[in-house]
Amino acid sequence: MPVKNFVLDARLTPPVLRARLAAGPDGRQRLLAPGVGMFRGAPDPGMLVGPDQAIGALEILGVVHHVLAPVGAGGLVVAPEDAPRTSAPARRAVGFDDLLLVLDPSATRSESAANQSGPAAGPGVSGGAVLRAPTSGRFYVRSGPGKPAFVSVGAVLEPGQTVGLIEVMKTFSRVLYGGDALPSRARVVRICQADESDVAQGDPLLEVEPVDAADDQNTKPHPA
Amino acid sequence: MSAKTRGTPAVPMFRRLMVANRGEVAVRIARACDLLGITPVFATSTADRDAGYLRGRETVCIGAARSPQSYLNMQAIVQAARQSECTALHPGWGFLSENPVFAALCEAHGVTFIGPPARAMHLMGKKTPAKTAMRAAGLALIPGSDGILDSVEQAREVADRVGYPILLKAESGGGGRGMRIARGPDEVASAYADAQAEAIAAFGDGRLYLERLIEGGRHVEIQIMADRYGNVVHLGERDCTVQRNHQKLLEESPSPSLSPDERERTLAAAVRAAASIGYVGAGTMEFLLDQGTLRFMEMNTRLQVEHSVSEVRSGRDLVVEQIRVAAGHPLSFGQADVVLTGHAIECRINAEDPANNFKPAPGKIVRWHSPTGEGVRVDTHVDSGYEVPPHYDSLLCKVITAGATRDEAIGRMIAALGELVCEGVPTTVPLHLQILRSPAFRSNHYDTRAIPGI
Repeated sequence: MPVKNFVLDARLTPPVLRARLAAGPDGRQRLLAPGVGMFRGAPDPGMLVGPDQAIGALEILGVVHHVLAPVGAGGLVVAPEDAPRTSAPARRAVGFDDLLLVLDPSATRSESAANQSGPAAGPGVSGGAVLRAPTSGRFYVRSGPGKPAFVSVGAVLEPGQTVGLIEVMKTFSRVLYGGDALPSRARVVRICQADESDVAQGDPLLEVEPVDAADDQNTKPHPA
Repeated sequence: MSAKTRGTPAVPMFRRLMVANRGEVAVRIARACDLLGITPVFATSTADRDAGYLRGRETVCIGAARSPQSYLNMQAIVQAARQSECTALHPGWGFLSENPVFAALCEAHGVTFIGPPARAMHLMGKKTPAKTAMRAAGLALIPGSDGILDSVEQAREVADRVGYPILLKAESGGGGRGMRIARGPDEVASAYADAQAEAIAAFGDGRLYLERLIEGGRHVEIQIMADRYGNVVHLGERDCTVQRNHQKLLEESPSPSLSPDERERTLAAAVRAAASIGYVGAGTMEFLLDQGTLRFMEMNTRLQVEHSVSEVRSGRDLVVEQIRVAAGHPLSFGQADVVLTGHAIECRINAEDPANNFKPAPGKIVRWHSPTGEGVRVDTHVDSGYEVPPHYDSLLCKVITAGATRDEAIGRMIAALGELVCEGVPTTVPLHLQILRSPAFRSNHYDTRAIPGI
């Protein structure tokens, strides 16, 4: 049964945006605006901000969105050095990526040192052979939404095989496996890029390891 | 007509205007703003915000590089216009320029959308209502079905009447998708099924209509300009037959293939048709020239890339006129004041590699030099050091040349393209030179089936 006169009230389910996180100078974190709008309600300098905590409200075409600190953010709010903030306006116009808050994580480091692990493994490459992006663009691992991925971890590649698509200026081209530095038969160890991620020319796409003859036996039916 | 435009009281002009586009389009709109004393504010993505053409300009960053998050993000653009105190917005061409929902959103938030009213945009956006309206106004159409087809049997009946080959087209189609050709009665069923499946997949609308396939025609379009007081003028026609994969490469005016009688008749009918649907602003009607007759295909409810060809021939600034009309002014000229002189040609220079099947080629332009000289106009946002981003289309610049005759305009274009320097990314200049120098193009013996000289 459809619910009669059901109104989606923004007061009950306030839309939420997450601020963007960027590394600033001297280890400080910069929280950036997730969209265009009128921003207000930022915490004062000296307050402590952690992940998922509200850091203000962004009004976009009359709709007030709560802005939350992103995962990984945390620290004391410090006054940005480039803004004198003598008389801060009640709300100010911000563009996408404009600075909202500067956090100083060092102030909270001692108490959260136990939680801190080493630097997360980024999209870097840990050795082995790597297939790199032939051109800059957007990388697709599948031919369309809902379609199976061209390759998966563990698949064995041969030269000329399609491993993904790259879109440049609305034109799609296939990324084919092959190259002088790559083994002629290789197994996919890791797919370095997420679907629809922007890649620059030379960025790693796949990490592969050579498939030698012995391994090859296992993938084929045993000779009688 | 001129009596209507004289002695009208002064109408206020916008003070600040949002430019909701990028690249060459944004530069073109800003030039018109500068002429009118309006401050342009540029909506920009993160990929463009450091580009040279925005240096010293007011900008609002509206989102990430990908167009759906920035140049197609309606809420962000309107909010950016509001908070930068713009009372008008120019959508340019492409992106949101033909989106009636966006036009309505602008109006709802007190921002004047510079373009036709949303209802005219909506009417012309659907194929069969547009054709019905244009037939009523006296334009010739391509023979075909009266509106949407119900079944394969009906398609076969209509096809028998208009003659083979026929083209099945999607009601909501565009960009060459959802179209299939049938060359005989036995091919209709499979073409119908294929076109329908493709249309549902691409546009979510499987409705089809049918037209006789015209092979070997010429692509001709008419530039219209109208104000909100019922004044409509045309600025002549443009011939855009030279295309690659439905993308125009080269445009010229006047069309070298059109007879004076047919030109006269269709220009008058196009003006009547625009008036009959209450059109306001700049618009273009596209026709196929079929054995001497101009047959209506569709109307673009916006300014087009190649509007500069008509500007060069008429000496009128269409973007200035658009902004004035949107501010409530009547047209500053009547039909009698439009004097079309000489011949004009435009070449679109793209960052594509002709040696590698026209693969788009983003990258850094190390050195750039725009051609200059008598009768040469260059519209571009590119300069030395500009980085061509991979996210958008590949147009780098438009070169427009004018001359007293077609040969003079072509000669100036060849000289201008020879002078153009673009180091760092490959361009389509060699392709244009090949076309311009080909006997087929010089003697006007070509049509939509092939690029002359290739």
